[in-house]
Amino acid sequence: MKDQQFDVIVVGGGHAGTEAAAASARMGCRTLLLTQNIETLGQMSCNPAIGGIGKSHLVKEIDALGGVMALATDRAGIHFRILNSRKGPAVRATRAQTDRLLYKQAIRYHLENQPCLTLCQQTVDDLVVEKDRVVGVVTQMGLKFYAESTVLTVGTFLGGIIHIGLESHAGGRAGDPPSNRLADRLRELPFRVDRLKTGTPPRIDGRTVDFTVMEIQPGDTPEPVMSYMGSAADHPQQIPCHITHTNEKTHDIIRRGLDRSPLFTGVIDGTGPRYCPSIEDKIIRFSDKTSHQIFVEPEGLTTTEIYPNGLSTSLPLDVQQDLIRSIKGFERAVICRPGYAIEYDYFDPRDLKYSLETRHLKSLFFAGQINGTTGYEEAGAQGLLAGINAARASRQQDPWYPRRDEGYLGVLIDDLITLGTTEPYRMFTSRAEYRLILRQDNADRRLTETGRSLGLIEDARWQSFCNKRDAIEARKQKLAGHWIQPGGVVAENLNTLVENPISRAYNLLELLKRPRLHVTELLKVSGLNWPGDEINEQVEIDVKYEGYISRQAEEVERLQRQENTRLPKDIVYQDISGLSAEVRQKLEQVKPFTLGQASRISGVTPAAVSLLLIHLKKNAGRKQLKSA
Amino acid sequence: MLTSRDTIVAIATPPGRGGIGIIRVSGDATKAVARKLLGRTPKPRYARYTDFVGVDGSVLDQGIALFYPAPKSFTGEDVLELQGHGGPVILDLIMKEILALNVRMARPGEFSERAFLNDKIDLAQAEAIADLIDSASQQAARGAMASLQGVFSRRIEEMVESLISLRTYVEACIDFPEEEIDFLTDGKVLLRLDDILGQLAKVLNDAVQGALLREGMTVVLAGKPNVGKSSLLNQLSGKDSAIVTATAGTTRDLLREYVHLDGMPLHLVDTAGLRRGTGEIELEGIRRAWQEIERADRVLLLVDASESDELRPEKVMPEFVERLPNLDNLTVVRNKVDLIADEALLKKELLSSEVISVSAKTGFGIDKLKQHLKSCMGFSALGEGQFTARRRHLDALEKARDYIAEGRTQLIDTEAGDLLAENLRLAQLALTEITGEFTPEDLLGRIFSTFCVGK
Ligand SMILES: Nc1nc2c(ncn2[C@@H]2O[C@H](COP(=O)(O)OP(=O)(O)OP(=O)(O)O)[C@@H](O)[C@H]2O)c(=O)[nH]1
Ligand SMILES: [Mg+2]
Repeated sequence: MKDQQFDVIVVGGGHAGTEAAAASARMGCRTLLLTQNIETLGQMSCNPAIGGIGKSHLVKEIDALGGVMALATDRAGIHFRILNSRKGPAVRATRAQTDRLLYKQAIRYHLENQPCLTLCQQTVDDLVVEKDRVVGVVTQMGLKFYAESTVLTVGTFLGGIIHIGLESHAGGRAGDPPSNRLADRLRELPFRVDRLKTGTPPRIDGRTVDFTVMEIQPGDTPEPVMSYMGSAADHPQQIPCHITHTNEKTHDIIRRGLDRSPLFTGVIDGTGPRYCPSIEDKIIRFSDKTSHQIFVEPEGLTTTEIYPNGLSTSLPLDVQQDLIRSIKGFERAVICRPGYAIEYDYFDPRDLKYSLETRHLKSLFFAGQINGTTGYEEAGAQGLLAGINAARASRQQDPWYPRRDEGYLGVLIDDLITLGTTEPYRMFTSRAEYRLILRQDNADRRLTETGRSLGLIEDARWQSFCNKRDAIEARKQKLAGHWIQPGGVVAENLNTLVENPISRAYNLLELLKRPRLHVTELLKVSGLNWPGDEINEQVEIDVKYEGYISRQAEEVERLQRQENTRLPKDIVYQDISGLSAEVRQKLEQVKPFTLGQASRISGVTPAAVSLLLIHLKKNAGRKQLKSA
Repeated sequence: MLTSRDTIVAIATPPGRGGIGIIRVSGDATKAVARKLLGRTPKPRYARYTDFVGVDGSVLDQGIALFYPAPKSFTGEDVLELQGHGGPVILDLIMKEILALNVRMARPGEFSERAFLNDKIDLAQAEAIADLIDSASQQAARGAMASLQGVFSRRIEEMVESLISLRTYVEACIDFPEEEIDFLTDGKVLLRLDDILGQLAKVLNDAVQGALLREGMTVVLAGKPNVGKSSLLNQLSGKDSAIVTATAGTTRDLLREYVHLDGMPLHLVDTAGLRRGTGEIELEGIRRAWQEIERADRVLLLVDASESDELRPEKVMPEFVERLPNLDNLTVVRNKVDLIADEALLKKELLSSEVISVSAKTGFGIDKLKQHLKSCMGFSALGEGQFTARRRHLDALEKARDYIAEGRTQLIDTEAGDLLAENLRLAQLALTEITGEFTPEDLLGRIFSTFCVGK
């Protein structure tokens, strides 16, 4: 092992690193994955759950591009549920509680069986930089590896400081070593670095919990599946989750402990991510609520450790102990790991391009928590894109990334490099303006064809996708060709189901547009016959959402001109008359690539966008004059 | 804080000889202008009587100087206002002095444009300024003033606020389904939807009035030949524009007159008399008449009072009423009441609230007709809250209403939260064409400050 040359090097074996390495290798690039510890490949360092609202959308998109996260989830999920099942397909989401060990195993299995991928346990200490380009890495042992592209996914709590009560110490997630030489090295480079904070709940020994007094929350039947290639048969044994609640007594205990809270005594400034408030935060800010829900989630089949979701806290350990024991079912609970708040570094994602290549150093890509995101799904999504673009760059190909209307992947990347972030970035469906198009049920229809042409999709997945695509078309054809005459027996049967009776000849596809009519009913009355499966669902959504989807498509079309209007690299915002200093400063900070991106920067008003456009037009005119 | 840009100047008062003349300067060179002309930069926002002095030291005029430093000025830039004597010669002299100081003439509307670009006013307000400038009447001016002060913007904002708060709720239900907020089961959403639809209807109604106020109402004179349509047009406009003869079928072409009734702008349209057509020209005239009738804000159906005693529209001219798209726009006007000899009949007619009796010949009843037209326009009800609105605003409001109504249907028919949410998003998008934008990040911020969510 000496001075080896690869196409792509991926540093870090977390969720971003594994997707990046797997994607690059799938595309046929000789890929090296360097990790501090092969045992922790695919480690779920926080709550072992995958998916949820907005997040399962990302997981399914990763899957549609041949990634590993969904497949591993189907191998490791011990509790599957569909969230928002009744609120419409666009916001429906899949969530799985997983077994930490099984998940790790599944990831490792995938990586070890991935052709073109080399795994190596080495701590990377430095980058090899030639001029403005990264050409390789140096490890702690002094080994040197060279590559056309390098992906860094080393962001798990860089420079972490952990707070429990008024005590604090340096440290990473759950016992991991905090920062490393590489992080220090990165700080010397011209990247903007800032700090984020987050927190976690204490873990509880399940043997000391009385589940019998809690509300039981079983997984859904039939068991939902995460991967387009997966099935419930892949799933291990399923176990239930539980729900309990805090009460007035809990809240009193917390209030009495606030004078020793790092959050409320100013030791940590700010209060952490808004979507994941600590329990003390919730009690202060929503003081009229006398109870909060706590999800009691198992960490695996072979461990007794319990994750009390909703109880994130950094109060001193004795207060944590008291507040836990005031909760129903936790009266005798023993804490096996205290909860804590953690502050850590991230690199401002606005220093990245859409490809996730850094703006300052060529051939260097950042993915995962290093960019200010939180969550396995967000990390995996970035890893996949960084891996794809690292591979493409190694072949001198143009970058590829989805637009905001093509995937949550596109929303994620565009948000990060346009808005930056001041709290750990987490995906929500409300971030996606084209939510009706970006559903978890159609991620494959949105992305797999592109994935195939990118070289990410192996034959089996491609075949299965083509079958599905063709079946959808075939069934639509059949429905469109089947006519119902008014007054007939079939029409009479249907009239009992619909509000407005059938007054003229309709084909079944038209009828499907009506509320409360589904493919199953149409099959029943018409005598057509095929299995009730997810293909029917696709047909139905296509038909029922048609108007909305085409309206969103029009919206996309309308904005396309702005999106395609590139802002020149050398644009001097100082020279554009009329821009306020504030807007100018924001544009300088982000350095948007297109007019569309500029319009999404907060504080950049429509008036400012018009000024930019006018400036571009004037300049184009001048150039034309010159060249003429 | 603001960018350096050239300094502009304009005479702010209308051209011609007036009591006072105001010159307004805006931009970075404003202070320099003040120092040259007044010898100093005046104390901000204090009226000061002073000499206006030319470069050669001669006193050009005397008057009030007002200085508004950026950003607290109308344009957001340094602004100087010189109020001198209104004569054009003096104003021109001062202008010349200022233009020599690296200042240029402002384009029409450029002060408002700068105010808009510097976020001092929103688009609706910028347009209101334009309306204020060319408003043809005092009432319209008052309406424009109200819009300028943000009455319209405020009404829209109130509604947008309700919409945002509903969206916040719906989006929270979607993104945080495990948080014990569930809109499908609690029926609250439907109540709030109806509430917003109610608000929208009110604003829309007022905005329609506002648009009429700005653009003027179109009143079409229609009826059988020879009932006196052209005579009434002449009477109302006070001009002898239309040919009047005793021959039925005199008028063929449409004849338009723009008149002000006590400052209220009206577009009067005289049309060909309606009858079973005789000849190509008249048929074409009748076709055009119908086109106008269908588009009118108000239709006056004229009847010859000496020929018919009928008061009710459907009796007066049934074939006409049948074809009319909107009966609410119709007023029956009985003309030639001077020919009614039967006193009792006339009395009964005058007491009827359904018709208006006039004589285009003598001018009898014309005031009552004017009064009627004013009230049709909501003119009498014009109070403090009235604002002018543009077609653009009406379109946006109507779009918003349609989206919300569709969202409501989706909620009821299919309980589809995602489609409800989409319609609310589109509705808000429509409304922000009037006021300003609202991003997904803003929405999330609202959710987090409103609901206790997050695990
Ligand atoms: N006595 C009397 N005669 C009127 C009055 N109004 C109109 N006339 C007469 O009625 C005749 C027709 O008047 P016009 O104004 O030309 O009628 P019109 O409805 O425009 O007729 P067409 O254009 O032919 O459809 C003329 O001789 C007018 O002088 C009225 O109020 N009293
Ligand atoms: Mg006439």
